[in-house]
Amino acid sequence: MPYRTRAQSKSSLFSVFSKAGMGRRVVLLTAALLIGAGAHAGTSNVLQVVHARREHFKRLGRTAKSLRDQIGRSRPNWNLVVSDTNEIERLAQDLPNWFPAGSGQARGIKTKARAIIWSKPQEFARAAHRLSNSAAILAQAASRHDLAGVRLRARAVGQACGSCHHRFRSHSNWW
Amino acid sequence: MSDKSVESRRVRVWDAPTRLAHWAIASLFGFCWWSAKSDHMQWHRIAGYGLLGVVLFRLCWGFLGGSTARFANFVRSPIATWRYASKLFARDRDRSSKPIGHNPLGGWSILAMLGLLLAQTVFGLFSVDVDGVVSGPWAKWVRFETGRRFAHLHDANFHLLLILIGLHLSAITFYRLARKESLVPAMIHGYKTDVSTEAPPSFVPWWRAALLAAAVCLVVVYITQAKL
Repeated sequence: MPYRTRAQSKSSLFSVFSKAGMGRRVVLLTAALLIGAGAHAGTSNVLQVVHARREHFKRLGRTAKSLRDQIGRSRPNWNLVVSDTNEIERLAQDLPNWFPAGSGQARGIKTKARAIIWSKPQEFARAAHRLSNSAAILAQAASRHDLAGVRLRARAVGQACGSCHHRFRSHSNWW
Repeated sequence: MSDKSVESRRVRVWDAPTRLAHWAIASLFGFCWWSAKSDHMQWHRIAGYGLLGVVLFRLCWGFLGGSTARFANFVRSPIATWRYASKLFARDRDRSSKPIGHNPLGGWSILAMLGLLLAQTVFGLFSVDVDGVVSGPWAKWVRFETGRRFAHLHDANFHLLLILIGLHLSAITFYRLARKESLVPAMIHGYKTDVSTEAPPSFVPWWRAALLAAAVCLVVVYITQAKL
């Protein structure tokens, strides 16, 4: 954990400098630099999490579009429909892991994820469960090659996505 | 120019289809703006189809409509436009030089406006939202990433349109305040006063507009229902 490393580094350096009898200003300056570096490392970790989350959602969006393109046809490519619905189910189950604590909006971090995700975790978990549940039913309908069922269940997944975004995501779904 | 030709009298300048198209574009643009901001995407899509239809109608009307609606009569050469623009602030304005329809600057502004609006609706047809759930009817022909690019073009072009609309409104205000010409009432009732009547505008029968509107409706329905 970067925070633990930072704290340990700080205390050990203070003791080293005091033993060596270095000037107080040098110690403070060094400590400030290390804290800054630690904070930067923390921010860059969060940035990585946010970037990964964005990529996951892009994948979800790409797969959802591919599925919609297929089920808009009278004779869809069922191989694609099945693989897309399986992918959506997998991503939906994984979704709660994309929101670790501390990956919300902060200085230097731009994310559409609202703070309510972490302030009301049970509500978020329920919304995520609704999505994974409807995605699983969608995948089942796809495995039966039931086009009417897939269309109906895809709409349910879309509603689960929409209601969650309405509550837990800031900004429009276009930008 | 004879005195008779510039006498102050009401002259019909804009035909009903031109006026209707103008106000339909203005209201549909406003509605599209609101529906996009408030995430009423179903309404946004329907209004976008309507806007596409009106823009297509106006473009065709620029070849088939009355004399003041035709591009050939109001899109002037850059030199003529510059000549007009250089006299825009002149104090000793000649009444007879006041154009009956669109002035040369306005003509280019209309071309730009219709071009950007057409581009805007076409970008919308291919646009995909970030979730891959809401999209235009032609988005099925492009990849997700391409659809997203179209969505960003849709957004960028919207801001260009806002700038152009700002210029349009500023020009109307300028003509009202600096040149004492009210352009808005003429676009409502179709008549202007205090203009040269040497060559009064000519108009075409209403059924031509009705036939064109029906044809455009069919085209828009075809566009929105396009199958793979």
